[in-house]
Amino acid sequence: MKILGIETSCDETAAAVVADGERIRSSVVSSQTDIHHPYGGVVPELASRKHLEMIVPVVAEALERSGLEPADIDGVAVTQGPGLVGALLVGFSFAKAWASARKLPWVGVDHLEGHIHSVFLEPDPPPFPFVALLASGGHTSLYHVEGHDRMIHMGGTRDDAAGEAFDKVAKMLGLGYPGGAIIGKTALEGDPDRIRFPRARLPGFDFSFSGLKTAVNRHLRDHPDRWAEEIPDIAAGFQEAVVDVLTEKLLAAASEKSCDRLALVGGVAANARLRESVGRAAAEIGVAVHIPAISLCGDNAAMIAAAGFHRLSAGQRSSLAADVYSRAPIR
Amino acid sequence: MATRVGLITRSPEATRALGAAMGRRIDSPAVVALTGDLGSGKTCLVQGLAEGLEVPPEFYITSPSYTLINEYPGRFPLYHIDLYRLDGVDDTADIGLDDALRGDGVAAIEWPDRLPDGLIADRIEVRISGDAGDETWRRIEITAQGQVRLMDYLNGLSEEERR
Repeated sequence: MKILGIETSCDETAAAVVADGERIRSSVVSSQTDIHHPYGGVVPELASRKHLEMIVPVVAEALERSGLEPADIDGVAVTQGPGLVGALLVGFSFAKAWASARKLPWVGVDHLEGHIHSVFLEPDPPPFPFVALLASGGHTSLYHVEGHDRMIHMGGTRDDAAGEAFDKVAKMLGLGYPGGAIIGKTALEGDPDRIRFPRARLPGFDFSFSGLKTAVNRHLRDHPDRWAEEIPDIAAGFQEAVVDVLTEKLLAAASEKSCDRLALVGGVAANARLRESVGRAAAEIGVAVHIPAISLCGDNAAMIAAAGFHRLSAGQRSSLAADVYSRAPIR
Repeated sequence: MATRVGLITRSPEATRALGAAMGRRIDSPAVVALTGDLGSGKTCLVQGLAEGLEVPPEFYITSPSYTLINEYPGRFPLYHIDLYRLDGVDDTADIGLDDALRGDGVAAIEWPDRLPDGLIADRIEVRISGDAGDETWRRIEITAQGQVRLMDYLNGLSEEERR
């Protein structure tokens, strides 16, 4: 079963063709980073306009690279939410029309469910159940994944998402946007132990990164004449605080659920230090780690096609009246 | 009745409770402009506001810095807006602000100084000051012209809470 996946929830226009929820025939991601760069983050209306320009060529390219004709596609999966409403609407309306015109089954997919499905696009995917940490610019949540459509929310951030903390600290340090990659690179030259920033340890599996961001801000304020020279140490110390908390909670969640498998997904999963830390901590207690390739950590449509394949296979269909959503209640 | 009330909260929980008390007394669409440094407790107050506006507790009210605007269902729709990362807003339509400000809900705006002067004439101003490193006190000053129930309530708070 060959599924066309479409994703436009934030600042990437993406389309992909995936066979049977696991084999990527093509995956095209058109990034808008350059457009949003001057604003230090995504600007919703600009994102929508760019999606409008890019959706047709991106889908065409995904089909062409897959070597398939539209007639070979068996179904369509598209991100329904959460995300920016104006951005979501572009992909969602396009998918609705594209599928309806061809009388194909189509289904709306939750973006977070999509991220978790990125591990099924890698060889040797985890059997159920497993524990997954989804960390990105807009989300930081832990799930107990019991099936393709059964993901139990164990906890999540109460304030800032992990990726957002990276963006904000990068902005404070004058390093630019997006913050994740820049902080990761800058931190390579720094000493992660020289400046110790606080780790917020909320009860259960919730996270908080707002206090950490404030602590970095306070450090800059308290050392106005010095901080510019210690940027690598600040970046490394900050990154270490985020990595410590994410690693700890993910391992604790696996232990709570007696899972011997865990997954790390979302844009922040591309962070080399986090991959290393989770890998090492898990190996120590004999837990297997599944982390998708870096190209599948950020937003992409292959993960949406993979999640959609399982929904469509289970007989789920969306109706023409279906609408996108900005935020979802925790599940 | 004073249109400006100043008070002190002694913990993040108290700031949140003040937000909830305010939210319960907002009975028409409104703009709440929140000013205060990073870490002063703006999002904390909005979490309370959401509670008072009856946003279901299954929604975590998290930072909107990434998306700029988060929207929640409640007694009125709550638009939580954070303009921190913008240096200035020239075109409010560009960031989707026009939708949030069209007057069907409560728009809670952090870093409203990024907006063009005079864009929102009628608003509930909330100014939070304190030391980010010391959570035991925040001075919160609230100014509003309309919103009679809200200002009645704030004016009725004890001398102990008001400063």
